[in-house]
Amino acid sequence: MKNKIQLFIKAVVNSYAILFFSQNKVLGAILLLVSFFNPVAGLCGLCCAIFSLAITNLLGYRTETINAGIYSFNSLLLGIAFGSFYNVNTVFFIWLTLACLFTVIVTVVLVERLGRSGLPVLSLPFIFCFWIVLLAANSVFHAGLEPKSSYILSELYNGTGNLGSFHEYLYLNLPFYLNLFFRSLSAILFQNNVITGILISLGLLIHSRIAFSLLIIGFITALCFNNITNVYPDGISYYHLGANFMLTSVAIGSFFTIPSLRSYLWAIVCVLMVFVLINAFTSLLSIYNLPIFSLPFCIINIGLLYFLLLRRYPEKLQLVPIQHYSPERNLYQFINQKSRLNDLKYFRFYLPFMGSWTVSQGYDGDITHKGDWGKALDFVIEDEEKHTYKLPGTLPEHFYCFNKPVLACADGVVTTVTDHIEDNIIGEVNTKDNWGNTVVIKHLDGLYSKVSHLKKKSITVKPGDVVKQGDQIGLCGNSGRSPEPHLHFQVQTTSYIDAKTLTYPFAGYISREANKNKFNSFEVPAKEDELNPVDINVSIKRAFDFPPGYTAIITSATAKESIEAFTDEFNQTYFYCKETGATAYFINNGTLFYFTSFYGDKNSLLYYFYLSAYKILFSSDEDLIVHDTLPVQLSTNKLQLWLQDLMAPFYRFISINYSSCYLPQKTGLTIKAAQFKQIFGRQKQTMSATINIADNSIHDFDIQINGRDTKAEWIKEST
Amino acid sequence: MQKLVYERPYIKKLTAGVMNKFGSRSGGKPFEYIDNVPVKSLIASYGSPLFVLSEKQIRRNYRAAYRAFSTRYPKVQFAWSYKTNYLNAVCSIFHQEASWAEVVSGFEYRKALGNGVPGNKIIFNGPGKTADELLLAIENDSLIHIDHLEELNQLIILAEGKANKPRVGIRVNMDTGIYPIWDRFGFNYESGDAWAAILKVINSGRLQLAGLHCHIGTYVQVTGAYGIAAAKMASLALRCKAELQHSIAYLDMGGGFPSTNTLKGSYLPGTDTIPTIDDFAEEITGTLTKAGFANDELPLLILESGRILIDDAGYLLGTVIANKRLSEGKRATIVDFGVNVLFTSFWYEHQISPAQEFAPNMENMVVYGPLCMNIDVIRESINLPLLNPGDNVVVHKVGAYNMTQWMQFITLRPAVVLIDEQQQVHLIKAKETLDYIERDEHVPGHLK
Repeated sequence: MKNKIQLFIKAVVNSYAILFFSQNKVLGAILLLVSFFNPVAGLCGLCCAIFSLAITNLLGYRTETINAGIYSFNSLLLGIAFGSFYNVNTVFFIWLTLACLFTVIVTVVLVERLGRSGLPVLSLPFIFCFWIVLLAANSVFHAGLEPKSSYILSELYNGTGNLGSFHEYLYLNLPFYLNLFFRSLSAILFQNNVITGILISLGLLIHSRIAFSLLIIGFITALCFNNITNVYPDGISYYHLGANFMLTSVAIGSFFTIPSLRSYLWAIVCVLMVFVLINAFTSLLSIYNLPIFSLPFCIINIGLLYFLLLRRYPEKLQLVPIQHYSPERNLYQFINQKSRLNDLKYFRFYLPFMGSWTVSQGYDGDITHKGDWGKALDFVIEDEEKHTYKLPGTLPEHFYCFNKPVLACADGVVTTVTDHIEDNIIGEVNTKDNWGNTVVIKHLDGLYSKVSHLKKKSITVKPGDVVKQGDQIGLCGNSGRSPEPHLHFQVQTTSYIDAKTLTYPFAGYISREANKNKFNSFEVPAKEDELNPVDINVSIKRAFDFPPGYTAIITSATAKESIEAFTDEFNQTYFYCKETGATAYFINNGTLFYFTSFYGDKNSLLYYFYLSAYKILFSSDEDLIVHDTLPVQLSTNKLQLWLQDLMAPFYRFISINYSSCYLPQKTGLTIKAAQFKQIFGRQKQTMSATINIADNSIHDFDIQINGRDTKAEWIKEST
Repeated sequence: MQKLVYERPYIKKLTAGVMNKFGSRSGGKPFEYIDNVPVKSLIASYGSPLFVLSEKQIRRNYRAAYRAFSTRYPKVQFAWSYKTNYLNAVCSIFHQEASWAEVVSGFEYRKALGNGVPGNKIIFNGPGKTADELLLAIENDSLIHIDHLEELNQLIILAEGKANKPRVGIRVNMDTGIYPIWDRFGFNYESGDAWAAILKVINSGRLQLAGLHCHIGTYVQVTGAYGIAAAKMASLALRCKAELQHSIAYLDMGGGFPSTNTLKGSYLPGTDTIPTIDDFAEEITGTLTKAGFANDELPLLILESGRILIDDAGYLLGTVIANKRLSEGKRATIVDFGVNVLFTSFWYEHQISPAQEFAPNMENMVVYGPLCMNIDVIRESINLPLLNPGDNVVVHKVGAYNMTQWMQFITLRPAVVLIDEQQQVHLIKAKETLDYIERDEHVPGHLK
């Protein structure tokens, strides 16, 4: 029950915060507070928000959407507008209730319809419903609503207004533009109050530096453009400045897109377009005596978003894939995950052999990997003198790779097999049967792999056979266009033996560089690279195997948390901590375990585990150090971070790096991890951690961060 | 004109007629350099006799063997057989190449620790482990391969109350179709003793059965025996999984692969008859991969090869002391190294090459060592050119067992040098001295 009330309060606050595309508690609370500067309007708004939350909850809509405030913020706006524009009487409440219900209905329907196209509703339901109310109230039939003699309403009707000192309490000794800026912000809550504006500004700054900077950019752009073109000789109405120009700038520049130079430029262009829309709609709607509210903002946003969504190959100016309601988080998470989430992009292919092989011809090689057949790899085995054979090297048998097992690179079904072609004499090629003995395996629709030049009569699979990754399918040979034994590997989109090639990385392999082993993930090896499959340490692999239903209790000197692994409807796996509500998403691809994102309490043990085990390779090779980067918002120095936030769309000087490796021990297994903060290239260690593994399970972990040493014991409960 | 090499007078029966099919000269060339270092300079610097090891050849052998197995099987680990050659420099080369250590005594165990091998990368084999040594191995989380029931019982007692269960393996012996069956080590497969031992380990609850171990023989010259051994080991591991729900983490197939030395009594030279490491690898891995393990549950394959990795990287340099003619007229040459330093001359017909230019005429002779003992025969019959006192000879393929089984008898043991990959010579064991031998001797007071 307590939990439910908390959630409900959170949803109410979210309904406020989302007016500025945020779910920041502080901002939400500030907005809630300042809405009561006009007590009637504030109360009406709060009641409407609660009413719509309650009704959507009762009727059983999607909880996540309700709690984000998406169904309720239009009602909230309606409530505030009602309270601001009409005098309270008996009829007022009846109309308010009906209008609010009406708004909820319109919101739910629009959210669903527009949501299918990936579009937001913004304040369209509010605008629409309030028009209905206005039309009804202004009609010849008596509705009983008494409009306040509100300057706002008249101003909204007129499009422009004379800015100045209507309210005596508003007058503060502020420079004109600062005064205008704050009042413009307050206009979003239908106020004209400098104090409101100042408080909202504070809240916004806490919420997001990027969004705040865009507010200013929108403000300045609009004013400058007006000064140059003199569209509104008396200046832009502060309502439009706030609700249309500035909000457009924030939404386009940072909310729907990943903040970047391009998104900022679009924001500026859109601010200019808003001029046109305001004028057009003002003259159109004045016919019906309706105010345009934030209609231009809605139209430009939805229009541009749809326009960008329809792109086929969106390389630059990325839209936000997962909305975190924070431009900073969206940006940092996006940059962080761009290179980290290859597991979701690619099918996992592994090397089609055992032991150490060398790439003798890479992609677009100079011998035969040309044109449409360019994205292929040839492998041989070399000795320490880079010879591929032992003396005298006159027979295929003298070559190290000849007769060596060739494996299925991934699970699939065999579609094509050729197994009858004679192996060549060394130095001769068979251009008639170019590919020689070949196996093609289908992994997905439109994704096939092919190995060629196998030994005659060595293929142990036939079309229709199901193979698992690592199954032996044949032996390396010297058939087809092969002057000396080698293995040809390519990925293709059809099952034909002579199909065109497709660029495709291997999910994980070890390469040798400067006498050190290096782990490569989702990379294409180059010519001369010496490759090895990853030698999986079964104990580490089992310790990091967290199937749904896995539960464990983590205890430290000060805390005790129980965590459970779940799988969501998108098949993403995550830990949920019952005590703190923290959630940490992870991926285990059989070679690596890594976290993708964390939500919740940053003092929880689950967070410490997230930091310690950010990326773990299941190998006990001491050479192999895995590196990764954490999203910048995890930086603990807030001042630095705020500075970075302001610059982040253009230049990032902070990076948080992570590395982990296997630490040899007298007994048992230990993983050592470290975190480094890099500022302008200068690196400083900010965390060190060890994770101990015993009996195929995590035993404990120890993390030193922010000058605190936390030891946590891990007790696996059940699976 | 260059002075011709002195050739002592000799008498040879004239064999008239056609030349045989092997041509006229079969003695080969003088062996003057080891890895480009002159043999003469080695003897000049370090004396004669002298053992020489080639680091390049050791690494080459290791890599070839590792390549043979690792390109056929996903998880392979070599463990250097200490008893084959436990000079610290040699062991360190293998450890640098990622080899674990395989030891058969407390002495070797401590040597491995001293060489920096982590405890969990030491395999402790052998029938003669003491309680203290077992405790040390348990403490270091080493793999203990149990040889007999007494040891098993002792381990169960020692393991009581240990936080980390000792990791053990069962040494299994079996009939692989070769003679002799090494049934003196471990538990027999066919009689069911091995399975009984496995049950006992599992049921004790105090030991962790990590793997199974076998070592079917030494200088095994047929690959098929390893196929049979691998099949029997796999069947035990699979039975463990099926009946006891216990996964065997590794199968240790031991060693016993032959080098290309020629065994005494062989008709053809070893280089022509011995299977290569690739042949053995093919047999073992082929059997294991088809045995019925799931791809990701294939046990780690451990190999404890010694001889094949080092034999041909070792040379013994020596000097001719004298020539004589035996009573029945046969020639004899006396060299300055005896069976006390070249222990393997009891098993092999070692190839011996002169280290300097020689005349084409060959003579059949006996090569004797310098010991005043009748057993000191290096080769009973060998065709060598006419050697003069002071000439140097090189004995090939002596890297295995000699530098561990040599004994101080009558003479002192020679120095050992290592030629590294950059052809630099390093003294890795100095010549033995009288002081060293007498250091721990004590003469009671009344005898002084």
